Amino acid sequence: MKHWVPYSLVMSIIIIGALLFSGCTEQPASESAESIKIGVVASMSGPASTTGKDIWQSAELAAQEINAQGGVFVKDLNKKIPITLVQGDDESTREGGIKAVSKLITQDNVDLLVGGYSSAVVSAHQAIVADNKVPYIISGGSSTSVSHRDDIDTSYMFFHRPNTDDSAKASILFIDEVVRPEIYKKFNLPDDRPLRLALIFQDSPFGKGQQGAVRNLTQDLNLPIEIVAEETFKMGESDFRTALTSVKAKKPDIIYAVTFLNELIPLTQQARRDVGLDTLILSIENNDDPDYYSGVGELGDFTLMESRFSPYAIPKGSTSERTKKFLEDFQTKYGGFSGMMGAATYESVYIAAKAIENAGTVQKDAVRKALSEISMDHMIEVMKDQVIRFSPDYQESSFDLYVEQMKMDPAVGEIRPHIVWPESIRETGFVIPDWYQPGSP
Amino acid sequence: MDLHIEIITQVLFWGLYTGCIYILLATGLNLIFGVMKIVNFAHGEFLMLGTYITFFLFVMSGFNPYVLLCASIPLLVVIGVIVERLCFRPILGTGKLNEIFVSIGLIYIIQNLVARIWTDEWKTIQSPFRDISVDLGIIQVPLDYLIIMAITAILLIGLYIFLHHTWTGRAIRATSQDRKGAMLMGINVERMDMVTFGIGAALAGAAGTLWAVSGQVFNPYMGSIPAIKAFAIIILGGLGSIPGAIVGGLAVGLVENGTAFTLGGAWKDAVSFILLIIVLIIRPTGLFGEDSE
Repeated sequence: MKHWVPYSLVMSIIIIGALLFSGCTEQPASESAESIKIGVVASMSGPASTTGKDIWQSAELAAQEINAQGGVFVKDLNKKIPITLVQGDDESTREGGIKAVSKLITQDNVDLLVGGYSSAVVSAHQAIVADNKVPYIISGGSSTSVSHRDDIDTSYMFFHRPNTDDSAKASILFIDEVVRPEIYKKFNLPDDRPLRLALIFQDSPFGKGQQGAVRNLTQDLNLPIEIVAEETFKMGESDFRTALTSVKAKKPDIIYAVTFLNELIPLTQQARRDVGLDTLILSIENNDDPDYYSGVGELGDFTLMESRFSPYAIPKGSTSERTKKFLEDFQTKYGGFSGMMGAATYESVYIAAKAIENAGTVQKDAVRKALSEISMDHMIEVMKDQVIRFSPDYQESSFDLYVEQMKMDPAVGEIRPHIVWPESIRETGFVIPDWYQPGSP
Repeated sequence: MDLHIEIITQVLFWGLYTGCIYILLATGLNLIFGVMKIVNFAHGEFLMLGTYITFFLFVMSGFNPYVLLCASIPLLVVIGVIVERLCFRPILGTGKLNEIFVSIGLIYIIQNLVARIWTDEWKTIQSPFRDISVDLGIIQVPLDYLIIMAITAILLIGLYIFLHHTWTGRAIRATSQDRKGAMLMGINVERMDMVTFGIGAALAGAAGTLWAVSGQVFNPYMGSIPAIKAFAIIILGGLGSIPGAIVGGLAVGLVENGTAFTLGGAWKDAVSFILLIIVLIIRPTGLFGEDSE
């Protein structure tokens, strides 16, 4: 029995340690009554934690910059008010998101929310936001099932990202305008042969949204593209060998991969190395992250990515200087580069600040109205008409999207992106690698 | 038709590979359950620790990651022994609920410790043989997967020899069969618990090393899903049965990959659990389980 005393002590220490560690999230620096509280919904733990950290750090950088200028001018108070960020870790799960957003709204009493990544996670906590009528600038949740839903009131939600229809359209147009002609020319394929497209997508609203968009686009635009394979995988999957073997059996000309970052790296490596798929892989924008470039290695050479912000490829134009500054500041503060989700969240904090300034108050209905009417110069992502504004129908912003091709950079030992589409911002031409084999004739 | 055979063989091959990881994980879990009768939900964290220890040693030394098994296995034995001594021995026999909550607590402790040390970003390591393929006639496969299968076989044979041809191994089996009887025969059952837990953790750690070397990504939270699969496998194979864990691991690996090929990856977990339910309906003790369990 006497053994129980030290063992109880050890167990107590372990349990207290667990509680301390599990609660190790960064808290707001101060809780001044005179601050604008912005809740940042980010996956700080779980499978999407790499992206979550990017979201949080970029929000911190934006808040720091705004606060360095004295904060946001609020007309009602006739003075500038600093921003305080409050972190809400959605744990990369629906349940975690509900918990985090509930806490941000009911306990932390935030004035506004930014962030959100996975469509599945965002859709689960949208109802709480709708019920509490808190303005929410969502930089993820790209599925149209999130932004076009009519079962809840989405009037307080503003989507600062392209939806799945937008990114699928950019990808499919690139395939039709650039990839198809180049492949057909190089391999003397007949013009009446449809291009063989394989889809491999996450079994989630995000993945299904892209799948539906690709199907609809090829039909609606009557494009000579045949979808020869549609393979699904569960969120967080790391073993794609069988799915890719199935894709290989269908002999595609190109694979369109709808994945998260942690899924794209093994998918690309397994496709090329394990399954021997000598074909092109086109992925989408949320993977444009420094961790992709460092993680995928030389097997990512010649892969393609639809994007709107890259840490290593800056589109020429009016956003390029500010983008460079953002990347430099981010690197100085955190010792690395931000990814696309970070960039969108950085802008979201600025959009929030501008809306509050325009509203002249932090009253939620006034901020919502200001957000719906906002019109500000684009910042570090290239927007349509160079203006950030939200559409009147689904409150979505509109981006100029582009496609990059990866090339190995021996100087850094990693692949680096080069913009190959559209023509207006193209850095270099699209290249078919020597090892590439087209699908069935 | 040739392509059809090639593709099916390839899918079976991936099933075998997946089965190897599951076998090592489930065998360790079953060994611990067989001797200590505890349900360790944190078993997947030993797999995760195996990936990180391999990663750390690989980055520090630059050695071949397969060679690093010689270091990661003993390290996992030590970690397993520490966990058994500090966390499970004090509560052994005090009720299943205590064991369950201690193991759930361990999941958070280990995950957060690893995240603190190595951050929670996804990591990968590259095998030195990543560019080498072997022609098996019908299919060409990367050499790494053949090495992984060979290592799994060697570890299982080693475990068999240890359990059947050494005094400690026989003592572990005796403890597993009749704890009180083993005590009466002079076996220090607490020491057997410690050794068993260490071996179980080491097998999971070896699975982690092979997971990492095969090019799969890992982060501190990656152990939970494989642990759930391992539980399903030991129930399918029979609680406490090592042959059951091997057959169950292979069956789940093959079924998962067969399902991913035919119905899509989203279905593979569901079909694995349907298999489990069917087996339990036909044989409630699992394929190799005994009624007493």
